[in-house]
Amino acid sequence: MGSTSLRSGFLVKAAKQLWLPVVLIVALFALTAGSTNFYFPPFSQMLSAMGNGLAHGELLSDLWFSLKNILAGMILATVVGVLLGLVIGERPTLRAATAPLLDFARATPTIAFVPVIILTLGIHAAPKIFLIFLGCVWPILLNTISGVESINPAVLETARSYRIPWWLRLRRVVMFGALPQIFAGIRVALSVAVVLMVVSEIYGSPIGLGNFILQSGSNFAVADTWGGTILIGILGYVLSVVLLIFESALLGWYHQRAPRRTAPRSRTTTNQTIQNEVTPA
Amino acid sequence: MTVDTPRGMRGQPLAVTGLNKSYGSHDVLRDLNLRVEAGEFVCIVGPSGAGKTTLLRCLSGLMPASSGAVRYGDAVVASPQRDIAVVFQDYRGSLMPWMTVRENVAFPLQGAGVRKAERRERADRSLAAVGLPDVGGKYPWQLSGGMQQRVAIARGLAYDAPVLLMDEPFGSVDAQARFELEDLVLDLRRRLGISIIVVTHDIDEAVYLGDRVVVLGGKPATVVDTVDVDLGAERDQIATRALPRFAALRTRVLTEIRGGRPAAAAARNPITSAV
Repeated sequence: MGSTSLRSGFLVKAAKQLWLPVVLIVALFALTAGSTNFYFPPFSQMLSAMGNGLAHGELLSDLWFSLKNILAGMILATVVGVLLGLVIGERPTLRAATAPLLDFARATPTIAFVPVIILTLGIHAAPKIFLIFLGCVWPILLNTISGVESINPAVLETARSYRIPWWLRLRRVVMFGALPQIFAGIRVALSVAVVLMVVSEIYGSPIGLGNFILQSGSNFAVADTWGGTILIGILGYVLSVVLLIFESALLGWYHQRAPRRTAPRSRTTTNQTIQNEVTPA
Repeated sequence: MTVDTPRGMRGQPLAVTGLNKSYGSHDVLRDLNLRVEAGEFVCIVGPSGAGKTTLLRCLSGLMPASSGAVRYGDAVVASPQRDIAVVFQDYRGSLMPWMTVRENVAFPLQGAGVRKAERRERADRSLAAVGLPDVGGKYPWQLSGGMQQRVAIARGLAYDAPVLLMDEPFGSVDAQARFELEDLVLDLRRRLGISIIVVTHDIDEAVYLGDRVVVLGGKPATVVDTVDVDLGAERDQIATRALPRFAALRTRVLTEIRGGRPAAAAARNPITSAV
């Protein structure tokens, strides 16, 4: 079983997924090439505005500022959300006690907090990180709790019968059992984070991608505005791809894949058939 | 621990006295008495829904008795004990899919504070003892059902407890794997001198494996009979099961499970057939 067949399989899959985006981008170039509309400059101009901004202008520092805030807010939200979620999820009494509060928090749009937070914490990075944290922590927390609830009771029973101490159980049993749901929460949180990043920088900020598109728009530098908007899209996409890479590394067992470090698939026939009969946990 | 060298009986007797267990107002076990000596192999049989699993959960300390007591030696078993290992029926649920086979087997030792190198060594030795020397680096879901149940047994062995409790351990594997697992468990008992208690609904299996077969019956359930299995220490899947004595024992157990009616009469009523 060679890597060649694997690799060609990957190429086929990539080709199946990539043809449409490629066609659309080419079409964008072609259809907007002669555009004289002030609000829709040629696609190539948008991209070169973005490239220029990154290479010579302040767009790079804006990007860096935004990226740092997103990462800091997300990491903070993940740590707090997962830890709290594991503790709450394990105890039915805590679950019951926190449920109304959490539902309320989830239902309140975080964007509504923007004025208050800027009013109290100012316009620097800290309030933006806090805002992103605030928006991201709920989906992660709620998903972690329901992930813990959905763990197969046989797993917990086993841990109990072998007297696994609570910290080891939390780290090696409960967290992994809830991991598929935790990642679902982080995925939701990431899209929330990008929105909040932009909003927090549009509303009272001297720097950041949100500020860049706001300023360039006010100055009628339309190509710059478009370039910044596209860059925000690219940032969101790249972050979600990075998340996907993390996920496939940590959840390989969940997707029933053979782990990457697996040695030879040489005992093929038996193992292959055995793998096929396995149903998801 | 010494998986590979024979040794004498270990551990203490496990004694159940006047055990009652109810879920709310629903009584499952009533005034149940049972004693398993160190090194003994006891099979607990009964019709489905008779409370076999409830009894095993009380024996393992996973579930408290409503009244009466389970004692291991002098200690009251009210929570899981270091000297008692459990193999569950649902191996898919009880093996953790995010751990390799070796990590699964070594995990209870990690909880017991055994150091990493020794954990690994004991896990590998236990896996070899159940006939799976080469799968430590694989994940449980890459193995067949029978192999996964072997891994679960290896985990119990690595824990090195003198008492091994098994809840319908071979119920969800195919017939061939089942015979192999039965002989494996008999062999482990011989080599390790541990006591093994198996809960099963399969009467042939109970007679084949046990030194004694304990029959549960009634609602709420209690011990209706204890059958000494005088088939000798050596058992063979073909020869033992062909013995007239084997047939006599299984008939006796089957009759008791059917509430004293002769097997032939009960066989005409397929709904109540236990096997």
